[in-house]
Amino acid sequence: MSGMNEFIAFVRRHRVAASIAFLLVMPLLMPYQALAVNILIFGLFAVGFNLLFGYTGLLSFGHAAFLGVGSYLTGIGMVHMGLPWGVAVLLGVASAALVGVVMGYLAIRTRGIYFSMVTLALAQIVYYAFYKAERWTGGENGLRGIQVPKMEVFGFTLDFLNPNTKYYVILAFVAVALWFVSRLLASPFGAVMEAVRENEKRAAACGYDVDRTKLLVFVISAAICGLAGALRALHLSVVPIESLHYLLSGQAVMMCLLGGMGTFFGPFIGAGVFLTLEDVVTTMTRHWMAVVGAVFMFFVLFFPAGIWGSFMKRLDKSS
Amino acid sequence: MEITLSLLALQLVTGIALGAIYALLAIGLSLIFGMLTVVNFAHGAFFMVGAFIGLYFMGLTGNFWFSLVLTPLVVGCIGLVTERFLVRPLYGRGIDYPLLLTFGLSWVLIEAMRLAFGVEGLPSSTPPELRGAVDLGIGYFPKYRLFLIFATAVVVIALWLFLEKTRYGLIVRAGSRDGEICRVLGIDVSRVWLVVFGIGCAIAGLSGVLAAPTRAVNPEMGIHVLAESFVVTVVGGMGSLVGAVVAGLLVGVVFALTSLFAPELAELSIFVLMAVVLLVRPQGLFGKAGLMG
Amino acid sequence: MSVQPILEVEGLSKHFGKFVALNKVTTSFMPGKLSAIIGPNGAGKSTFFNVVSGAFPPSEGRLKFNGRDITGLAQHEFARIGIAKSFQITNLFKQLSAHENVRVAVQARHARYQIFKPRAAMTEVADRASELLERVGLAVHAKRPASELAHGQQRALEVAMALAAEPELLLMDEPTAGMSPEETVVMMDLITALAAERSVILVEHKMKLVMGICERLLVLHHGEFLAEGTPADIKANADVRRVYLGQG
Repeated sequence: MSGMNEFIAFVRRHRVAASIAFLLVMPLLMPYQALAVNILIFGLFAVGFNLLFGYTGLLSFGHAAFLGVGSYLTGIGMVHMGLPWGVAVLLGVASAALVGVVMGYLAIRTRGIYFSMVTLALAQIVYYAFYKAERWTGGENGLRGIQVPKMEVFGFTLDFLNPNTKYYVILAFVAVALWFVSRLLASPFGAVMEAVRENEKRAAACGYDVDRTKLLVFVISAAICGLAGALRALHLSVVPIESLHYLLSGQAVMMCLLGGMGTFFGPFIGAGVFLTLEDVVTTMTRHWMAVVGAVFMFFVLFFPAGIWGSFMKRLDKSS
Repeated sequence: MEITLSLLALQLVTGIALGAIYALLAIGLSLIFGMLTVVNFAHGAFFMVGAFIGLYFMGLTGNFWFSLVLTPLVVGCIGLVTERFLVRPLYGRGIDYPLLLTFGLSWVLIEAMRLAFGVEGLPSSTPPELRGAVDLGIGYFPKYRLFLIFATAVVVIALWLFLEKTRYGLIVRAGSRDGEICRVLGIDVSRVWLVVFGIGCAIAGLSGVLAAPTRAVNPEMGIHVLAESFVVTVVGGMGSLVGAVVAGLLVGVVFALTSLFAPELAELSIFVLMAVVLLVRPQGLFGKAGLMG
Repeated sequence: MSVQPILEVEGLSKHFGKFVALNKVTTSFMPGKLSAIIGPNGAGKSTFFNVVSGAFPPSEGRLKFNGRDITGLAQHEFARIGIAKSFQITNLFKQLSAHENVRVAVQARHARYQIFKPRAAMTEVADRASELLERVGLAVHAKRPASELAHGQQRALEVAMALAAEPELLLMDEPTAGMSPEETVVMMDLITALAAERSVILVEHKMKLVMGICERLLVLHHGEFLAEGTPADIKANADVRRVYLGQG
């Protein structure tokens, strides 16, 4: 089946284009539009998380902080500061990256197993801080009133409230982010990331500054998750306080593992499966958390490479 | 509001009582980590289950002491089953996997409690024998808080005796999944892992049943407690029982005093404490430098 | 005219809690020589190796490289200034291929933080990696995952990775550990060839090996300096014979 192998090799070499092609048609596969947009946003969230977890081997349980900060700062920019949406999105991403610098610096000071605990706890600081700052964030009720009725882009006027337009505008951002991630992973730095994951001591002996590498990945990951958050704010028109909650950090972990950590497109598959599962299960029972938790445990035990990861491994073996 | 000495003392006792719970939780986490190198992300969930089951037994029998003894046993058994069937298969794979599994388990446990006891949680109350306050000279102190501190001290001392004075304790102290010491002493290593995980979870369950009268008992309570236990562990240093106790009490007192002087910052204060420790002494107050390096 | 030592230690000590692994060791190594650190088990050889290779800093004392004080330098800086090492217990990127292992090591020298250029386009890095594999006799195994290589081949891979740093000084911790006699001969030949072009310091406990090929020996005992000199000096040294009496 060498024709098949050639096709697969072609797709892998052009993974960004292939991913975008898939995402272009994904809405047609989805029962309703909002689910498709959610998959885009959370797929990006998971991709950002995967850079740190799947590729560099650092398990953070605080990534909701970046999604939330991205959302909140975009919202605050538009609602309280009257910024145009484009600038507000930039503000969201930059703020998330800044939080990433601080959190990353503190978390990387710890060793090994502490990392997960510290990131969780540091994200709680962000949660409480935003919860208390009611004047800016709306506290428990969340930030409301993020309006993007019309978007001026390159001379065109887009109606963001139209579900189709909304999807493709967000897809444009996701596409750029995916392109960036792909370049990063294919670069020499990408090899350093994986070397750190495989064997930190060895990487240091070769001459790589492991701590600086980790911090750099942490910040890039934070920025990408911040972008996902910014887009989410535009999509929902509100920022719920749950955006900063530990459960959302956990969802990033779950999506990444379900899909396939350390693969390029796995996180998107994971996000798609997770959100679709959530959608389906909640129609059948209130106790969807138990179902998802059980499915996750099943994957941890028997399919740690995830859906896409297992598929990729199967392909590698047969080629 | 006037800060009198008796008010300060009262808040201090509240802080120490809170700290006692934190200390117990951190000890459980540390035991499990020290022996199995597993970070139990379901620790907060076991705490919550302990609180629920404790209240349930109390409601069933009307007897707090009965509940106090039985609940840790039940939660410990859930821990045993967890280790044997869910965690053990993952030991070969790398430290993140048992962590991930226990995280998934926590979701299941939270939902299980919702299923069994409803989404709102259970109303909790102080057992009749321990209601009211006691006059200790400087002021009146709630009986239950004093009991909490006393009970925790008893458990900590019992644990210390177990670890220092018994053969089993020696193995646990020697730590790590190495197995060397166990083979020398002719003990089955996997049995030790099983028991330690069970004890760790039992302690979490115990802290839940002890804490129930002092706070709202709902399925979400474990989530906050998990973050707080991690703070205690980072401050004290993982793998150190003394560290767990000292850090637990410290964190509890910091929280209580901040609640008195700057209530808005109370929750933040303990995380700021953690951040400071991370900057100044990343291995924790009692942790060894390079541990886990 | 005196030549500057390539490596010097002054009053080097290392404590682990109450245990003193190294006690005020002072010595120097000359450039261009093949030297070895020897001593019975527990002599402190591994600790000495770890300190001079940057795994951890000494508790006391100074470490100098070409006259420059490098005490307390971070591990990753060592490769950059020209000191490379191979580990006692094989320490590779197990999931990566042999070629990729060396490629990563070579890359450290040239292009660490490049984010945008695809590394597949950096043929000079890949070519150099192939060269190094060829040098240690592993060219035929280039595509195999490091975990699948035989023990002796893994040790050779370690050497290739150390060479990737283009070191002035190569440190090797028990390079023939766990090797068969055939593999040992191959490794010793490689080491001799490498010592012709750079400074090499070995840690070894197989006396026969080092006596045969090394120009200079340092003997440690209970973490302290015992003796140093040529193999002939050491053989004749009464203290050394006393310590090693009964040991091969």
